[in-house]
Amino acid sequence: MIQDFNERLVINSDLKHLYLSRHFIREIIRKANLAMSDENKIVLATDEALSNVIQHTYELNKNGYIDINVSVTSQKFQIHIINNGKNFDPGKTKSKDINKRIKQGKKGGLGIFLMRRVMDEVKYSFKDGQNHLTLIKYLFQIK
Amino acid sequence: MVEFKIEMQKLPNDIVLVKLKGFLDAYTYGEFEKTINNLFNQKLYKLVIDMSGINYISSAGAGVFIGAIGIAQENFGNIIIVRPKPPVKEVFDLLGLSQIFIIVDSMEAALNALT
Repeated sequence: MIQDFNERLVINSDLKHLYLSRHFIREIIRKANLAMSDENKIVLATDEALSNVIQHTYELNKNGYIDINVSVTSQKFQIHIINNGKNFDPGKTKSKDINKRIKQGKKGGLGIFLMRRVMDEVKYSFKDGQNHLTLIKYLFQIK
Repeated sequence: MVEFKIEMQKLPNDIVLVKLKGFLDAYTYGEFEKTINNLFNQKLYKLVIDMSGINYISSAGAGVFIGAIGIAQENFGNIIIVRPKPPVKEVFDLLGLSQIFIIVDSMEAALNALT
């Protein structure tokens, strides 16, 4: 039985911190005793989300901050990412016809496509000058 | 911690073995992309990419493969992927790349696919 807990990490908007962020998420997943198949998906989705924040909301400016809040309950694993970069709603990026676009050699939108594919919910809002992105994976089994 | 490392070896018949180690994310993919472009500039289009040393790949890394396969095949070459680890293979499957790329378990199979 998973006990509810929360963890937090704040990083600069620097792509070199993606590795550290993935490590942070992996440690939480192992603490929560989740299945390996869930681990890979959650790490991937978080990494894609953070990459998008750094590239699109901060436009690769390394001086921004990204607040990563993870909440684990017996029902769900939730990652809430907050930043005060440019307003960027990943929901506005098309991920339809991804297979067609890949075959044409087009690479845009892959990260958002993967986030939506592997997580059960992806929610975005912009309030008080901050972008809020929430990724949720519902938990059904433990390893 | 190995961020990302590339080793290359030229093989007979203009085949290049590219051995990757570490992780391919939005921070490290640029070096891989530059390497592939340099090979294409040398008219080397038959590439064997040994992925056995890659522990993680994101869409940025996968994007390099997506951008390169068309060029390789238009020039009568190909990109063969060797021994991806399960999390890496999973990303390829999610993006449908397992239908576009030849993915094999051995160097022998990779070389056979290019001849």
